[in-house]
Amino acid sequence: MVRFKKIVVLPVLMLLVVSSCIEEQNFDQIDDLELLPTVEASILYVEAPERVINLVPSGNFFGQDFNFDGFSSSIFSDRVEDGSITYLVENTTSKDLNITVEFLDENNAVLDTETFPVQAAPSMILEREIVYGPGGRPIDIIRNSSGIRVTAVNLGDDTSVSTLPDPMVTLKSSGKFRVRLR
Amino acid sequence: MRKRLLLVVTLLGLSTYVLGQNKQLLYDFAEIPQSLIINPGVESDFKWYTGVPMLSGVSLQAGSSGISANDIFADDGLDINDKIRDRAIFGMNPRDELSGTYQIELLNIGFRGADPDLFYSMGIYHEGDAIGYWFQDYAILAYEGNADRLNQEFDLGHLKTRGEAMNVFHFGANKRMGDKMTVGARAKIYSSIFDFNSTKNKGFFVTTEGQNNILATTLDADMRLRTSGLNELSDAEEDGTIGSTFLKRGFFGGNLGLGLDLGFTYHLNEQTVITASLLDLGFIYHTNDVKSYTLDGNATIEGVEVILPDALSDPDRDFWQDLVDEVEAFVPFEDNTKSYINFRPTKLYGSVRYDFGERLPSRVDCDCGTAIRGGNLRAKYANSVGGQLYMINRPRGPQAALTAFYLRRLGNVAAIKATYTIDKFSTSNVGLGLNLQAGPVNMYILADNLLAYRNIAASRYASFQLGLNIISWGKK
Repeated sequence: MVRFKKIVVLPVLMLLVVSSCIEEQNFDQIDDLELLPTVEASILYVEAPERVINLVPSGNFFGQDFNFDGFSSSIFSDRVEDGSITYLVENTTSKDLNITVEFLDENNAVLDTETFPVQAAPSMILEREIVYGPGGRPIDIIRNSSGIRVTAVNLGDDTSVSTLPDPMVTLKSSGKFRVRLR
Repeated sequence: MRKRLLLVVTLLGLSTYVLGQNKQLLYDFAEIPQSLIINPGVESDFKWYTGVPMLSGVSLQAGSSGISANDIFADDGLDINDKIRDRAIFGMNPRDELSGTYQIELLNIGFRGADPDLFYSMGIYHEGDAIGYWFQDYAILAYEGNADRLNQEFDLGHLKTRGEAMNVFHFGANKRMGDKMTVGARAKIYSSIFDFNSTKNKGFFVTTEGQNNILATTLDADMRLRTSGLNELSDAEEDGTIGSTFLKRGFFGGNLGLGLDLGFTYHLNEQTVITASLLDLGFIYHTNDVKSYTLDGNATIEGVEVILPDALSDPDRDFWQDLVDEVEAFVPFEDNTKSYINFRPTKLYGSVRYDFGERLPSRVDCDCGTAIRGGNLRAKYANSVGGQLYMINRPRGPQAALTAFYLRRLGNVAAIKATYTIDKFSTSNVGLGLNLQAGPVNMYILADNLLAYRNIAASRYASFQLGLNIISWGKK
């Protein structure tokens, strides 16, 4: 038994002890870990056919406040760092139009305004990207927004009809934001 | 907090190559009574034995097939965010896994019956295990998000995990059938303490070009998480009764199941032996404290949509709430308390062994010396060499491991088993087991993946087993 310990067990154990080691680790690196995904999704889509526009005498043919809790929910507002909103406005009607999008806080106070003057068809699709955060408008606009007001004004007549098929004006929008999870 | 993090990281670091619950060192190590637990048909020559409660049948294994602590926390000057992105997020795949298992015996006794060819063993052991596969697409979403990933489907099936803790009450019989064959069977009652499993998830999350708006976001989910015992344990933690609740559920106060182990040893000739065992053919029926959650359905949204003139019909309409309600209606998140059956992860062992060298004097109460006794008992040889196969049924299909081993017996006082194991995770797993017999006191220690001790933090797998038993071969 003693011989066995000397010959086999002790050398094996010593070999393990001597050979086992651990390279230097720096667990403080975890403090530098960033989880900052960029998420994107559509926000608001508004569609108004020309026949609806013509139902209202020239002027403001559409104006509505929409509840939009996507920005103000704490899971987003507490974590959003920066981002942008992209708008696409397409007008196939026979009229010049002016569309305004406003972000509202919970008291309906206007936080931000974006205006889109669009020409009568044929016209290009108007694309605009608004940056929020460093180098852009204050990100607090997004954090505090809980509603969106859309106003559309007909700058032309209320009788003409475009020769294009299914004439309408559409407002498309999507947001792309960096959200800090850690 | 730092200590807790260190513990997690150490477990991760100690881990990795997940061999499931492969006990290749213990398998067919007939000098150790616990070998009966993984092959009820092993050739045993004990008169009786008893394990020392809480000190016998102790085993711990942890592994992760894709990454080690060193990969992330090595003090190498690299940015941890780059290391996580390159080595974890995109360096691992959904078949990589993090898992761990432990087992400890509360009671283990064995004795030979009036018929000397019959050996009975019984006891209680506690075990727990958990496995989680790398949820790669969820990690990509959390780390980089869905932006600029148009049409890329994030697979919800990447969430695949299960875990449980239970006490196992078992009774086994081992019978020599002539001098060539030994067979065994073990009946088990499982007393589940807690269980969770979410292994059959399907679906995807994708962002595509919208039909109306710029983008369309689609969630198509068929997901399920089933749990039992967790609510009671959670309540008990708040009440300060976690210990007694854990104990109660482990002793028939939780959910029960039945299982069976089978095994045999067969001598092809005097020195060539084949063995096999099939373990945990069984199930647990969860009826007590069950809580399951489902997310089932599909929905595509393109933000708040206002289409005139319909939108003008109700000036008070809340489009945002309508959108939320629509998603919740199409993809409802629900819970239920329906009972469920969970099948145990069945394991299969097999081996071929060749015995050679000096014959050892028998410890059994007989006048047989180094000769084979007149009955069905065979003498042992000083050396054994062979190969073993191990398979386990896992959520992503069977996993297999191949082991080559050499067993050296030094008289009747000690035996050493060395193994080399290869599987899909590792090609360098060398293990060593030592069994010591000092009179009636038996002690063993078995450890795997010894080469990883060169840098423990870089190890992806660690396993050890130890035990203390009292053994008698009868009076000589």
